[in-house]
Amino acid sequence: MTALFNRWLPGVTLLAWSAVLLSFYLTGRIASFLHPAFRGYVLVAGLLMLAMAACFLLLPGVASCCDDERCGHPLGRRKSGRILTFLILILPVATAAMVSPKNFGAATILNRGIVTDASGLISRTNAPRIMPPQPAAQTTTDNPAEPPLPTKDGSQPVAQAAASPAASQNAIDDYLPKAKDGNVEVQVIDLLYAAQDTSMRADFDGKTVETIGQLMPDDANNAGGNRFKLMRMFMYCCAADAKPIAALVEAPQKPNAPEMAWVRVIGKVTFPIEGGRTIPILNAVSVTQTDPPEETMLY
Amino acid sequence: MSWFSFHFPDFALSFLGIIFEGIPFLLLGSLVSGAVEAFVPGEVLTRWLPKNYAAAIVVSALLGLVIPMCECGSVVVIRRLIRKGLPLSCAITYMMAAPIVSPVVALSTYAAFRGQNPLEITLLRLVLGFLIAVGVGMAVRDIPAERLLQPAMLDSLPGRRRTGLSMAAVPDDAALDLADGGVRGKLFRAVQSATSDFLDVTFFFVVGAAIASTFNTAVNQSLLVPIATNPTLSVMAMMVLAFALAICSSTDAFIAVSFRMFPPAAKLAFLVFGPVFDTKLCFLYGAVFRRWFVMSLGIGLFIVIALICNHLGLILNNT
Repeated sequence: MTALFNRWLPGVTLLAWSAVLLSFYLTGRIASFLHPAFRGYVLVAGLLMLAMAACFLLLPGVASCCDDERCGHPLGRRKSGRILTFLILILPVATAAMVSPKNFGAATILNRGIVTDASGLISRTNAPRIMPPQPAAQTTTDNPAEPPLPTKDGSQPVAQAAASPAASQNAIDDYLPKAKDGNVEVQVIDLLYAAQDTSMRADFDGKTVETIGQLMPDDANNAGGNRFKLMRMFMYCCAADAKPIAALVEAPQKPNAPEMAWVRVIGKVTFPIEGGRTIPILNAVSVTQTDPPEETMLY
Repeated sequence: MSWFSFHFPDFALSFLGIIFEGIPFLLLGSLVSGAVEAFVPGEVLTRWLPKNYAAAIVVSALLGLVIPMCECGSVVVIRRLIRKGLPLSCAITYMMAAPIVSPVVALSTYAAFRGQNPLEITLLRLVLGFLIAVGVGMAVRDIPAERLLQPAMLDSLPGRRRTGLSMAAVPDDAALDLADGGVRGKLFRAVQSATSDFLDVTFFFVVGAAIASTFNTAVNQSLLVPIATNPTLSVMAMMVLAFALAICSSTDAFIAVSFRMFPPAAKLAFLVFGPVFDTKLCFLYGAVFRRWFVMSLGIGLFIVIALICNHLGLILNNT
């Protein structure tokens, strides 16, 4: 019995945890749970636990300090405590690992409250995904003596191109990422950030963009019945702190997709002021159901 | 809309998110704790301390920077250190400070608050933790050890039993020496101690993550607005939560940050109060200290931290 409690229970617990951490990391399932900045730690922790489990299971010399009366581990001193620890450490994690989905259901999203403008998000130190190019004037002032470097394809450099309004428009178009069909490809978070920034708003306004998200009904300002929310989860660190964010979509007719379905929306961006706030609205020309993206969370 | 709607898959997603994020830091803390237990003799700490009371207490509050320890580990360690002759006031100061004034906690707090003024929160947490620990150390300095320690602890102490530095004496207690057996033996002991710490503390972390995930997925957050937007209520609510959740200080920042509606001052109160007084610490403190001291400590810490954080919240809101 002593060997069971001192050696096998800790060893098996560490091994099980190591298996869960390593399997989630190696299969890529970790993407639904953690921001990329934290994923490497999971791999390291999984490997360390594997090594610790090997120590317990392979080296009979490792005993438990909890046989000692002076031990300060309240649960480790009693056999019932050790069994309880084993069960609490194994069962919830194993069960959660088996049933956890890639993204949250509608009830949780509504409980957390959907944010439709970036001012509802906590300020971020990292930059938005899409960043406008440096203004031409600033570029030339910074290095007045140096001419702009030639581009690889021989086209006009941005600093020169931005000299005329048309060229400036081309430069803006160049920094906006494109989908296969030539539409500007954006994420919901880009639209929310753009609504907060005058220059980015001007760059997006009136453009035909393409984006994907989950379909949620809009019950607040939908007198015409033709609005819905295009929702994504925005993660700061882990799934527990993920916040639902959404851009409003106006479609000519109600989309033929169930609530929470993933849809691809193509439409023109506008930034009207509603309720005293500038919000992004997509005037959809097409709404089609699609597969979920590789990573369901935005960061 | 109902105030509570539990959906197990959503709970599982949130629960594993907290576990995956926090467990590497908890493991790191346990490994450091195990290494300290196996490789750092208690006499070293006693030798390092200045002869002056105040200076010794201040140094004890900073020991966590070189010997980081989570709150569970620190209670374990001070039992050993008190027996090895570390002055009780210094041991209590170290016990209160180590779970907060530590590089592991600083790292995890900074990581958890990424994008939410991480430097400000981390520094405030460390400074407040340091000041609280020094304050408690100073307060207990003149109390006789007989009034603070459990009889079983007193029996194992050397002859003189008061908390001041003058009573510091290294006991001639060979039974308390670190494990012999060379590096291999100590390495085994480090792994054993780290694993025991890890399993013990992870138990509370799993329970805490489960409660936090239930709160984050099942409770309609709009109902919390009245509490979360009231500066005093939000601070006290987060402190009660910290007491109930009993999460390890190396990972509690990941739980605190998930309570998005609450202001930074309330989260700070959670991060400072939890590591020095929670349900599991009540139990652990009770194994070393007398009940009146544990009760007084808890009430005193609650009032002081609530007042400071409430005041800080008002300052932060006005800047």
